[in-house]
Amino acid sequence: MRHILRLSILLIGLFASSASFSADTLPPVNTADDLGPQVDQPIEFPHNRHAKDMGINCMYCHTYARRAPVAGIPPLQKCMGCHNGIESVKDKPRIKELFKHWEEKKPIAWKKVHDLPDYVRFNHERHVKRFIVQQDKPVQEVCGYCHGDVKEGTVARRQKPLSMGWCVSCHEKAHPTDKTAQATAQGPNDCWQCHK
Amino acid sequence: MSVSNLLANWSQFRQAHPTEGDFHKEYKWAMAIDLDACTGCNACSVACYAENNIPVVGKDRYARGHAMHWMRVERYWDEDNRDMPDQGAQFLPMMCQQCEAAPCETVCPAGATNHTPDGLNSQIYNRCVGSRYCSANCPFKVRYFNWWDFPKEENVFADPLPLQLNPDVTVRTKGVMEKCTFCVQRLTVAKHNARNEGRLVQEGEVQTACQQSCPTNAISFGNMVDPESRVGKQWKAQQVDLAADKQVKDAGDESHEVGEHHSGTQLRGYRIFEELRAYPSVMYLERVRESAV
Repeated sequence: MRHILRLSILLIGLFASSASFSADTLPPVNTADDLGPQVDQPIEFPHNRHAKDMGINCMYCHTYARRAPVAGIPPLQKCMGCHNGIESVKDKPRIKELFKHWEEKKPIAWKKVHDLPDYVRFNHERHVKRFIVQQDKPVQEVCGYCHGDVKEGTVARRQKPLSMGWCVSCHEKAHPTDKTAQATAQGPNDCWQCHK
Repeated sequence: MSVSNLLANWSQFRQAHPTEGDFHKEYKWAMAIDLDACTGCNACSVACYAENNIPVVGKDRYARGHAMHWMRVERYWDEDNRDMPDQGAQFLPMMCQQCEAAPCETVCPAGATNHTPDGLNSQIYNRCVGSRYCSANCPFKVRYFNWWDFPKEENVFADPLPLQLNPDVTVRTKGVMEKCTFCVQRLTVAKHNARNEGRLVQEGEVQTACQQSCPTNAISFGNMVDPESRVGKQWKAQQVDLAADKQVKDAGDESHEVGEHHSGTQLRGYRIFEELRAYPSVMYLERVRESAV
């Protein structure tokens, strides 16, 4: 009897301690719908104004996406190309900040939101070619596969986990190779395709 | 596998290199090194350090067995029957042989080393747990363990050296195995460019760092599937077969000493430790000595 009592006390103690431990230390579960960390940008860039209200193509500013592995962050010159000619918003605080940088010849120090580890190789061009050029899918939908619904937010915020399992979950699916063909193909499943 | 089963199926043993499906459909990267042209200048090794962000460990650590070089030039010294001792040295550049039935792949407890459809032997650093089992099983001893946390603790890449690091290659941290990759970062770029133009990578489009820096053009590298490739032609000319563990050159002349050409054959191609059935993708062309001519 004493043994059973001793054992049960031990078990209760273990359970209680493990429960309190896990409650303190477990990080929140990161699912595909979870939002990534908030990244404070030097100027709060309204993606909703540009991508949703104006309907600007993602690749107008992120111009390298269609011809290079990295999408690139647009230079200040790109912003000025339009904003030099838009009188109606010139006295808004964010645009004033933009002009201040421009006159001081200082680039805006945008911060990385979608930062992959150093051992991962991701090629934007491949994905753009596959889905936008070959399958003729809408640009915002295709970019949204990984970047989420950017046009609803003010600043870009990571919305997808960008973990290996998440990438693989899409690579396992057989997508049509182009808009008319019946043939489907999967993404590559070879480690050195993405790892370096 | 029982011993009787092993003996009964000896011809099948370690031949299970992937050749079906997508394997070797478009690419099979291979290399040929002409030892007659190799002068042992070590340019290949230096180029490899630069291309692949390999830290220089220094003399002390080298002496402790912490060597770190994906490509080494081995020197073999043979003074027998030689009037001039300076003719006795021969050099052999040694790097990962990218075996088709790689002994390292089967023993990795974490599955960090895998076979790619291109016939390469991939090493995924963030998957590696550093058991060094692969190194123990490698007959060529071309896998290197990273003993030091070079980018952080050991100031090997001191400022401004990080600026010359290759951004396409990971700077490996402590506790992983690393090895020659046939400059996979260059292969990836070449394949990507070719795919954009709807074709395969052509001969001469992609070079490994060692090949590029070799002053005597001893190293050739390319796609064996491509009939135009120099390396494929060399393999064919030497009658070396990727899937064989004994080549024409060595067949039926056990009576001759290794490295001699008395049988009148002009074949020079061989692969190292072929009989171990690892099916390496690197062919060496034997050096022609004056005694053999």
